[in-house]
Amino acid sequence: MKTLADKIIQFRWPIILGFVAVTIILGLQLRFVEIDPDMKSQLPEDIVSRINTEKIDELFGGTDMLMVLVKTDDVLKAETLKRVKKISKEMNRIKGVDKVLSLFELKSIKGEEGAMIVDPAVRRIPRNDEQREQLREEIKANDIVYGSVISTDFTITAIIAVLKTDVPDVYIVPQIEKLVRNNPGKEETIIGGLPYIRGSVSRNIQGDLRRLMPVGILIMLLFLFICFKQLRGVLLPFFVVMMSILVAMGMIPLLGWKIYVITIILPVFLIAVANDYGIHMIAKYQEDNIPSNRYSKDDLARRMFTGLSKPVLLTGLTTISGMLCLLGHVIVGAKQLGILASIGIVYALAASLFFIPAVISLLPRAMPVMQDTDNRSKKHILERLLWFFGELVSTKPKTVIVTALIFSALSAIGIFFVIVDTDPNSYFPDDHPVVHATDLINDNLGGSNNISVVFQGDIKQPRIMTKIDTLESRLRTWPEVGNTTSIARIIRQMSRALNDPDELGYNRIPDSRNAIAQYFELYSMSGDAEDFEKLVDFPYEHALLTARLNTTSTTKLSKIVQRTDDMLKDDPDILLVGGFGVVISDMARLVVNGQILSLFMATIIVAILLMILFRSFVAGLISAIPLTLSMTILFGLMGLFHIELNVATAMLSSIMIGVGIDYTIHFLWRYREERQMWLEPIDATKKTLTTTGRGIVFNAFSVIIGFIALLFSSFAPVKFFGFLVIVTIFACLIGALVLIPSLCLVLRPKFLEPKTKM
Amino acid sequence: MKQLALSFLLLCLLFFPTLLAQENLTAYEIVEKSFDAVELAGTEATSTMTIFDGKGHQRVRQVAQVSKLYDDGDTEKKLIRFLSPADVKGTGFLSFDYEDKDDDMWLYMPALRKTRRIVSSEKSKSFMGSEFSYSDITPPTLSDFAFTLLGEEDVNGIPCWKIEMVPNDDDIADENGFSKKISWIAKTDFVVRKSVYYDVDGELHKELTVHEIRELDPQNHKYRLIHLEMENKQNGRRSVLKVDSIVFNPDVKDEYFTTRYLERE
Repeated sequence: MKTLADKIIQFRWPIILGFVAVTIILGLQLRFVEIDPDMKSQLPEDIVSRINTEKIDELFGGTDMLMVLVKTDDVLKAETLKRVKKISKEMNRIKGVDKVLSLFELKSIKGEEGAMIVDPAVRRIPRNDEQREQLREEIKANDIVYGSVISTDFTITAIIAVLKTDVPDVYIVPQIEKLVRNNPGKEETIIGGLPYIRGSVSRNIQGDLRRLMPVGILIMLLFLFICFKQLRGVLLPFFVVMMSILVAMGMIPLLGWKIYVITIILPVFLIAVANDYGIHMIAKYQEDNIPSNRYSKDDLARRMFTGLSKPVLLTGLTTISGMLCLLGHVIVGAKQLGILASIGIVYALAASLFFIPAVISLLPRAMPVMQDTDNRSKKHILERLLWFFGELVSTKPKTVIVTALIFSALSAIGIFFVIVDTDPNSYFPDDHPVVHATDLINDNLGGSNNISVVFQGDIKQPRIMTKIDTLESRLRTWPEVGNTTSIARIIRQMSRALNDPDELGYNRIPDSRNAIAQYFELYSMSGDAEDFEKLVDFPYEHALLTARLNTTSTTKLSKIVQRTDDMLKDDPDILLVGGFGVVISDMARLVVNGQILSLFMATIIVAILLMILFRSFVAGLISAIPLTLSMTILFGLMGLFHIELNVATAMLSSIMIGVGIDYTIHFLWRYREERQMWLEPIDATKKTLTTTGRGIVFNAFSVIIGFIALLFSSFAPVKFFGFLVIVTIFACLIGALVLIPSLCLVLRPKFLEPKTKM
Repeated sequence: MKQLALSFLLLCLLFFPTLLAQENLTAYEIVEKSFDAVELAGTEATSTMTIFDGKGHQRVRQVAQVSKLYDDGDTEKKLIRFLSPADVKGTGFLSFDYEDKDDDMWLYMPALRKTRRIVSSEKSKSFMGSEFSYSDITPPTLSDFAFTLLGEEDVNGIPCWKIEMVPNDDDIADENGFSKKISWIAKTDFVVRKSVYYDVDGELHKELTVHEIRELDPQNHKYRLIHLEMENKQNGRRSVLKVDSIVFNPDVKDEYFTTRYLERE
């Protein structure tokens, strides 16, 4: 390694310029980066739920709905209806709006004195109480409107914009907001719907990135200064971190990727973790740069490299392995985060090992910060704590092990309470307008989630039409189904208008194909042929049945999707089941699968790495123990504190395995060294704890402090991610300082015993 | 001599305004004449309507149709019966279009053996699911619109007046489905050759092209549009209406226009 160190000094300028150039080139790519808040894009393109949902859009046009809710004590009051009518008409004029569903656009089809009357659900705004009550009765009898665009208690009405496909949220949401602003009124007005949620998610992603980065950097700079008290000690690690962030994020547009909610974690992750290598290098520099040493600046640079290259490389390797295990996830954002974080870590490693020494060799020697004798009053408390750990571990190792096992067993109970939640609604705190809107829609207007069934065949066949009708009736009996729409309902409504109540055809699907064909013809003569297009396609070969779901619980949604799938599995008349509810439940399944897979992968790979490093099978096993216990505590806490498993928290375990193992590595490495010098186990333990132990604590705290920035995220899952990271790193730390030494003392594994005989 | 010259002058003066008038028709008058030109006292015809959805699918309807004018042209009665396809064959549609009150409409559905009166306020909506709207099929109320003569232009070599038609208020615009319509009306026969429609947003919406017309009543210079096409420029859909056979018959039997006849198969 010596010659490599010399080469670094020799080629310091090319090294410095090279790193700066690569950073600038990749950093400039950030201009092209795009944000993608859509849940659907998290699913790989070949996932059935995504394909199905896209097929529905293709057959029936856009199905995305943006809703304006108007809430007051009685919506049928003249001034409220006037406002609703105006908003409804103006909404129709907005480009990108395919259809408007409201009291004034949806139809009522009824029979009266031998005539079939097709009118908007509200034809005339009532001018007195009598007219208003009459309208109320009419609406109650109109099942297309009652309970779907007007609540059953008449306090809320919705004006729904069904969007054309590919309308950008960033365009349409402000248009609707402007529409509402231009039509003020006394009623409470709320905007809701999936595009609004996505728009809010998108805005929050941008806000988070803008806020968390500076906060994270500030905390890091403060921490570095407290530790090193030297400008180069602050700036050099800072540069390394900034370079790795720019490089990792700059790769996003280069790889053709986009920024998702999960991607917010990337810069904060790099600030926390990429920092470590630079910290070690500077610590070594300060350790060597004491007055009694006569090292030149070149010497100092060389020593940084030779002393630390192996351990730094190793810890970098384990971190990268942990991150790459995110590839065990199918979810696009998680996979990409794994790769981007690894790229960032590799760059930070290289920069710490080459760039920092190169710069150090250029700068004049700094003022010594450390004294010749150990005189670090700041760390005095730490030293005492570490010494206490040494005592504890050497006198009561078995107690420690048993306590750890009991504690983990207790936390394990929480695992049974872990719930999965992939609904984007849960990204927001309970008092957020998005959640408020969703709750209103769920409670009063049929539901904000949906599941859709597409029938295929000759839709005019009574057999198929009746099948649609039957399935619809069945779905309506499920408590989570708020409302349904299909062509069968329209046919039924028409049959009520065309037949008297005592006639055979009243409120039934006709039993001849010709009759159904003529119903369709009748509707196109008297109503709006476009009304049909969302329900049946032009050649009458596909029909859509949509059930609105009024629950935000991913667990319930998954159950409903499962039930529906089981019911319709092998039915030749059913083409597919899709819709947003299916996407969410698919995500939930994939999140869990990814979690389990990446967890296994990470644990195994790390254990193997350690086995290779220490050339011992037992080494891998011993290091797996605190890891397993930390994971148990992690999931136990999630269950006990009701922190949901979702796209963000599912990535925790593999990240933590990669990062948390570092402390164990440091301990074992140094302990073995001390044992090689023939120290007795107990003395070796105490020595290791009080020397390397300091570095380990340092390391762990820099990671913890780096992730504190995530607590300021506007996304609940990201906040919880930050919280859980801090807790697990802490657990890994204690594991390395207390549990591992105890295990070593009790088990006396061979790989740690001195090899040479004196 | 003087008296002769004076009377001649007087005669010229009398006729002069009319001569002038012929040259300078107002936009309103041109449009009025264009409605008159296709107003036939009675017709019997079979037509084919083809609707293209712009995605490669089409729907074809063949209908037999009789119409007759009543009340000095103020009322038009129409009976339409579907000839094909088989599942709607026999379906009949009877309408009385009044000048100044809401139309009466009845539909007969053979599969249900039922006639039902239809009351619908949806005028701007499509006729039979095609791109033609009701306000294209039946002439609208002239007083609802403001007309402007934009100039003169040739359409397929035929000299036309270019006339702009704008609804008087938003409600009328919503009812008819356009905020502006520009029509090219031939100078020779006052029959429209092309129309361009702009939606309530002011965006180009549809374009009507008249491929063929036929003079059915040479005595009164009355025509019928034989082959028309309406193209929706916004979604790519297209509808084509072709009259396969048509006869001018001012004496169409009155009994055709009854619900009783509607139900006969």
